Amino acid sequence: MTPPLFHLAGIRFGYDPSHPVLRGAEFSLAPGERVALTGRNGCGKTTLLHLMLGLLRPQAGSVEAFGAPRRTEAAFRAVRARAGLLFQDSDDQLFCPTVAEDVAFGPLNLGKSRSEAADIVTDTLTMLGLAGFERRITYQLSGGEKRLVALATVLAMAPEALLLDEPCNGLDAGTEDRLITILAGLPQAMVLISHDAAFLDRLAHRRVELRDGRLI
Amino acid sequence: MHIVDGVLSAPVLAGGTVLAVAGIARGLKTLEPDHLPRVAVLSSAFFVASLVHVPVGPTSTHMLLSGLVGLALGWAAFPAIAVALFLQAMVFGFGGLTALGVNIVNMAAPAVLVHYLCRPGLCRAEPAALFGWGLAAGTLAIALSVLMVGLALAASGRAFIPAAELIFVTHLPVMAIEGLLVGAAVVLARQVKPGLFDFTPVAPAWVEAGDD
Amino acid sequence: MIGASVPADSLLDVLDARLRLLAALSFALVVVSSRGFLAPALANAAALVLVVVARLPLDRTLHRLLHVDGFILLALATLPFSTPGDIAFSLGPLAASRQGLAQAGLIALQANAAILALFALVASLETVSLGRALAGLQVSPKLVQLLLMTVRYISVIEREYRSLRLAMKARAFRARSDRHTWRSFGYLFGMLLVRSFDRAERILIAMKCRGFDGRFPVAEHARFNRRDLWCGLGWLAVLGLLIGIDRI
Ligand SMILES: Nc1ncnc2c1ncn2[C@@H]1O[C@H](COP(=O)(O)OP(=O)(O)O)[C@@H](O)[C@H]1O
Ligand SMILES: [Mg+2]
Repeated sequence: MTPPLFHLAGIRFGYDPSHPVLRGAEFSLAPGERVALTGRNGCGKTTLLHLMLGLLRPQAGSVEAFGAPRRTEAAFRAVRARAGLLFQDSDDQLFCPTVAEDVAFGPLNLGKSRSEAADIVTDTLTMLGLAGFERRITYQLSGGEKRLVALATVLAMAPEALLLDEPCNGLDAGTEDRLITILAGLPQAMVLISHDAAFLDRLAHRRVELRDGRLI
Repeated sequence: MHIVDGVLSAPVLAGGTVLAVAGIARGLKTLEPDHLPRVAVLSSAFFVASLVHVPVGPTSTHMLLSGLVGLALGWAAFPAIAVALFLQAMVFGFGGLTALGVNIVNMAAPAVLVHYLCRPGLCRAEPAALFGWGLAAGTLAIALSVLMVGLALAASGRAFIPAAELIFVTHLPVMAIEGLLVGAAVVLARQVKPGLFDFTPVAPAWVEAGDD
Repeated sequence: MIGASVPADSLLDVLDARLRLLAALSFALVVVSSRGFLAPALANAAALVLVVVARLPLDRTLHRLLHVDGFILLALATLPFSTPGDIAFSLGPLAASRQGLAQAGLIALQANAAILALFALVASLETVSLGRALAGLQVSPKLVQLLLMTVRYISVIEREYRSLRLAMKARAFRARSDRHTWRSFGYLFGMLLVRSFDRAERILIAMKCRGFDGRFPVAEHARFNRRDLWCGLGWLAVLGLLIGIDRI
């Protein structure tokens, strides 16, 4: 059996100690697998993804990623280079003037040169059917276009795992269909947060539900 | 660059306070009520910038953004910066009440000057030159502020002169970095929202800008 | 106020906010004009009492005092070496004078006392009471309105800043000393401004929908009562005492 990409054990976390969000959550993500993560609003799904990348630190429990335990900021930095997070709100993710600059931001952080980054931008946008969007102003795109550009910024880093936080939130049926087709064609392991049964039916291999701070 | 209470001499404090009051009055006189929310946005951005640490070699500096505030606001930079500095004193203990006037003048006067020196060029600039104007505005605003801090110190006592010189030298990298930041911010603003710097305290340009 | 937790009900809350503002200002003026060490030292003790009475968390309040700008430390550190006088000690070719050391110590004491009193008397006010007090002291209503709006936007901008910064971190961004970093910070702030301006415009439209016509009603404030009068007189006595101690 191949080792899991992520393994979280006994995770406890609360933004404020008197209101724990996660109380002993266990979660594993195997290579190539697409897992649906469901649960009521505010049950802690986004929190779990942020814990996986070390954007938040658990108060108890362990995070193992890509075959090593991760505790320190330095250790998680390596995780963030290998697992991409699509934020629930694309406006939280996009901050550069043009699409090209935003997509190039991740590769530049990974140490790519400007010209390498430019090639990655073209390839990624083409793959997502966004060819010709390079010089468009991100801020002025529609909600659906912003979501696809945000996905491009993540894919440009060639991650081994994708953590997608409500990717089809607010998309129309046509754009959602396009997103499903794109995601179904990607080889990466994925965690999919969604409230959309049809979306999960078409993509997910298995489902876990977050309830009362545990995954079931 | 907040001078604390107890450093400056009485004449410097009094002079700073008078100038600050005059500058704020001038800024408020031409400030349309419709512009208040935008001025408040810049004032809060100025406040928040002080929480942002940007690495400079082995140390770090926090951002000031006075050049950006000046470019956008002109004379209204006085009330905007005054409010932000007052809040910074209360929340973080930066500066103090007696030195508030001097601190306002040190930050706001260069911002206003930058508005008149750099904004005309900025508004006319080709995209390639835009960054340069932003860089000039950001750098100049900090350079002048540091100079004025030094003058305020030197005027309060000859013993402060070596400190004033040291402060200027140690702030050279800060000036350059602030320039780069303001340059990038201006480039973004022009591309994303071309009307951003077109409003002046006198003419409510944004009302028309909303139609196109 | 922003960032600071609103303290529990304190004895100071019964006082007129205008009185608290004036008290902080007069205290700072008296403290910075003192010449000897005794008055500023006693002023620090008085300010600490105020901090306790205002029920500010002592540890966090004292912690905030440590956030002094580097350049102020530079100014204080050079003072002993640039002030002529009797040599206290020397570092290589540099000689520190007793007078310069005393001057630097005095400034530190004065700045400390003034800021502690500001924390206790003014920073512990609710924002709205502070605005009302400023208006009551004849500060321009436009400026007061600007202050209130700024306080409101600070939390919005700070929250947006934090979420964008988190998303940058998720994309393996690390603040370094290079142009990529500085450009990214510039974009980050430019984007914050653009978004906040748009939000400000929406807020203005909403205000207009609720009948805003460009004028701000001047808020009325509580009358200055007998208790305020006695406390004010007591404060003047404290200030008089500090001045007297400094003179002798
Ligand atoms: N930054 C934060 N500070 C405090 N509480 C938060 C923060 N973010 C989320 N929460 C709280 O934590 C809980 C879980 O939030 P979240 O993970 O966003 O839920 P979900 O994504 O499942 O809707 C919610 O009750 C939410 O209110
Ligand atoms: Mg969520």
